[in-house]
Amino acid sequence: MGFGARMSVFSALAAGAGAALALLLLSSAWEPLGGMRFILAAVVGALACWGVAGYFGLGLDNAITRLRLALLDPDAGPEGVTLPAPLKPLRAAMQDFRERVAAESQKSSTRAREVELRRSVAETELRQVESTLDALRDAVLVTDRFDELTRANESAASLLGFRLPDDLHKPLARIVKDEALLTMVKETRESESLSDRKNVEYTISGADGAGSPPGPARVFDVTLACLPDPTGAAAGGVVTILREVTREKEISQMKSDFVSQVSHELRTPLSSINAYVEMLVDGEAKDEAARAEFYEVIKNEADRLGRLIDNMLNISRIEAGIIQIERTEVDFVQVVKSAVEVMQPQARLKNITLISKAGPLVYTASSDRDMMHQVVLNLVSNAVKYTPDGGRVTVTVENDDATRSVMVSVSDTGLGIPPDAVDKVFDKFYRIDNYKRVAKGTGLGLSLVKHIVETVHGGQVGLSSTVGLGSKFWFAIPIEPAVARKAA
Amino acid sequence: MTAARTQPGAQRCVLVVDDESHITHVVSLKLRNAGYEVLTASDGEEAFEIARQRIPDLIITDLQMPYMTGLELCERLKREAPTAAIPAILLTARGHALSQADLSKTNIREVLSKPFSPREVLAKAESILGISGAGDAGPARNAA
Repeated sequence: MGFGARMSVFSALAAGAGAALALLLLSSAWEPLGGMRFILAAVVGALACWGVAGYFGLGLDNAITRLRLALLDPDAGPEGVTLPAPLKPLRAAMQDFRERVAAESQKSSTRAREVELRRSVAETELRQVESTLDALRDAVLVTDRFDELTRANESAASLLGFRLPDDLHKPLARIVKDEALLTMVKETRESESLSDRKNVEYTISGADGAGSPPGPARVFDVTLACLPDPTGAAAGGVVTILREVTREKEISQMKSDFVSQVSHELRTPLSSINAYVEMLVDGEAKDEAARAEFYEVIKNEADRLGRLIDNMLNISRIEAGIIQIERTEVDFVQVVKSAVEVMQPQARLKNITLISKAGPLVYTASSDRDMMHQVVLNLVSNAVKYTPDGGRVTVTVENDDATRSVMVSVSDTGLGIPPDAVDKVFDKFYRIDNYKRVAKGTGLGLSLVKHIVETVHGGQVGLSSTVGLGSKFWFAIPIEPAVARKAA
Repeated sequence: MTAARTQPGAQRCVLVVDDESHITHVVSLKLRNAGYEVLTASDGEEAFEIARQRIPDLIITDLQMPYMTGLELCERLKREAPTAAIPAILLTARGHALSQADLSKTNIREVLSKPFSPREVLAKAESILGISGAGDAGPARNAA
């Protein structure tokens, strides 16, 4: 290796480059590598010194390249390049440096992946929470410590008449018009008791839902609870859950009305039995004829009590699916005739014309005779009960070829059924309010009719009615039982 | 009428109201056998008309009846001067449904629940007629 006049030029160049790089690295704020930049500076400085020491001659460019490769990557470096001993620690430091850079870069990309994964998990969880809330029938409202709506589900939006997500982050008072509900939320927030849960019964009148037509009042069971703020120590908002209990209330009311009604119905014949027996015991019946009359009353009232209990049990049995059914070919003209005969005295009392009409054909269908008798009797009895004096009740038997059924209809000139009650008259316990005073009943008669015809015989019941003109109740029993219902 | 007061039951007129004919029949018989004159009605409206025309000494009425309940009947009677003082006994299969407020608007002195004893009805009637003369419009007293 010859060292010539160019020596000073290379030295100057190398020293200049080294100093510039060292300055650059020293002034750099490449924080992640921290102290490593001093090592780099040292490396470059060493290279500069090396140049100054006149280690290189001609072909220096090439030599530098080879050395650099040997320094940076001793394994993949070009053959035959031997690193001078003083540079060996440098190579080790470089190697260490490279490994740390690689590790840092590895770590940071792992962290980035983790963050991305967490974000996507959080997003999925949030969507799941939102879907879960939206799937709830209960209305859920979450408000912050300024009583602004931060979260709500679809049930709440449709119940209280606001829009999602448009109305989020607005003051609850601007979204919900109901003062009582706003007060409840405010009071709960102010209580700031995280463990406290309030349950309030709350009624929303039908007109409350913004823009929706007025309907019947709805009853809600409202649960209010404070939500913790980010520190977990104080109340940061309120969650309000409105569960509708209108139907439960109605059912409970119907049950208690039913018990009360049944108790009244049972007590009435029992009262007669009791009173007449006591009269006999006290010798209040003066002669044999009077006593015979008393015995007759007692027997009739005991029968009535029995029928009432049977009615209730029959409905229960049909509902429980344990009714015994005896199918025979029932002649409906005969069934109608005998029911009309039974009801004739009551019709006469009210001066009501009660007649049956049937064509010349034979109208039979496979069914339970006693149950069919009960159905016709219940319908005719209702017609007579709710038809004013001097009216007319007509029972018709015909074949309905379209459905291959025998069809019996009972038409009257009675009070008629209001349109809003038409769908309910077959419900158990239901009685039209205004008609309760016209006649007594358990609210079970039509329910039993529907059960017997539809549940037990696979037939159909229906009615058409005009208030003030009269009603027509009908039922149809398939001539051949399509699917014979198995009685347990 | 002083003679009637010293001899409870004699010449006294009782109106019996129930839509169950068996009940009006048995109560009427018990009272007639005890020497009362008895009128009957099968619903509240009919009873109201009879009471206005005849002014009975006592009314024994069922609670639940078509057209007008026993309670409504007694309220209407108390509102009208000629019938305002007539005491009443209420027979009911639903005793629990009546509130003190309901009863205070009437002259109902006793509430007997069904099934009832004709003997007890007679005893209560005698007791009411024995302690109260015509014109007594004191506050209602009720059986608990």
